[in-house]
Amino acid sequence: MIERVFNLPSLLCPMFFMATIAGPVTAHHSATPFYDADKPVEIFGVVTKFVFRNPHAALFVLVESEDGETTEWQVEMSAPVMLKRLGWTPDILTVGTEIRVSGPSSRAEGSHGVLGRRLTRADGSPVLKGGRSSDPARSR
Amino acid sequence: MHKKKLFTYSLKTYLFTVLTLSAISHLGFAQAVPDLAGVWNGSPQARPVNSETVPWGEDNFPKLNKRAKAYQEVWEEIMAPKYDCQPASSPAIQYDPYHMEVTQWPDRVLFRYEKDDQLRTVYLDGRTPTSKDFSLQGFSVGYYEDESLFITTTNFVFDIAGFDDYNGIPSSSQKVIKERYWREGEDLYVTVTVSDPMFLIEPTSYTTRWVPAAPGYKLSAYDCDAESSRAMVRFFPSKY
Repeated sequence: MIERVFNLPSLLCPMFFMATIAGPVTAHHSATPFYDADKPVEIFGVVTKFVFRNPHAALFVLVESEDGETTEWQVEMSAPVMLKRLGWTPDILTVGTEIRVSGPSSRAEGSHGVLGRRLTRADGSPVLKGGRSSDPARSR
Repeated sequence: MHKKKLFTYSLKTYLFTVLTLSAISHLGFAQAVPDLAGVWNGSPQARPVNSETVPWGEDNFPKLNKRAKAYQEVWEEIMAPKYDCQPASSPAIQYDPYHMEVTQWPDRVLFRYEKDDQLRTVYLDGRTPTSKDFSLQGFSVGYYEDESLFITTTNFVFDIAGFDDYNGIPSSSQKVIKERYWREGEDLYVTVTVSDPMFLIEPTSYTTRWVPAAPGYKLSAYDCDAESSRAMVRFFPSKY
């Protein structure tokens, strides 16, 4: 159910590269001070909380590492005021939903954060039916 | 009989004069007051998203004085009051990639921003700010001319990140924002000019546009949540 965390070499991951050149997710602040684009990460786990509030929606995901330890990751997402225009709702990601997230990892040592550049369900489909997986709020 | 003719003639002359003046006045009004009202879309459909180099890029990046550079030396991103939900102000709020609504009343123009639920009132009736009129959005007065709305905003409070969301440039109570709004076809344009002798060596400006919002679109409440706003602050490796 819960998979380990693994780092992705950015040069070997075209999807991540495409997402990176798309720019900041939220336009509220620069991502660079908080997230390192040179240290992308992909996580897979289960949703423990989805906070759908401006200026940033935040997704909390419980992830199991290689040694079996579980860690809660925080995923920064776009502003709900933008996500709502795309059809997202507060209950689109319910507790227990399996989710895969990739994007730049947080800078502070020992922190577990990721800027949510790409989100998919366990089967690889977009979170929003018919929607995009990468930078969902930037399509409009 | 003669008196009746004279009266009729006078009445006709009076009506002609009044109607002519009214028509001229109305024509002049129509030419001077552009239709800026409506809900406008400032998302990437209209313009590039703001960033470290947008809208302040190579050509118009402000020339900072030593005081501003000293502020930048000590600056850290997490010092920005927006992480406690303090709203954006001019000249940044005009470039945020959200919707806004313009309402034109005879004596004022109202700018409602979806970002941060902000309302700016631009007075057209000649009033001036008092010493109590300092605020985050300042005090705005304006007038119509040449199919444009011209606005001057003063009386801002000091803001350690009052220039934009990306470059750590403060703004002072001496900040003055001049705006000119006009229509080109379906679109709305603005040129925003900022001066602030406390931090900028000279004024600088950018021009941007909005496109009409989708039919029926209504602004959403922003209701900034302080916890969500600060959620990523712990990911910042502070130098202090």
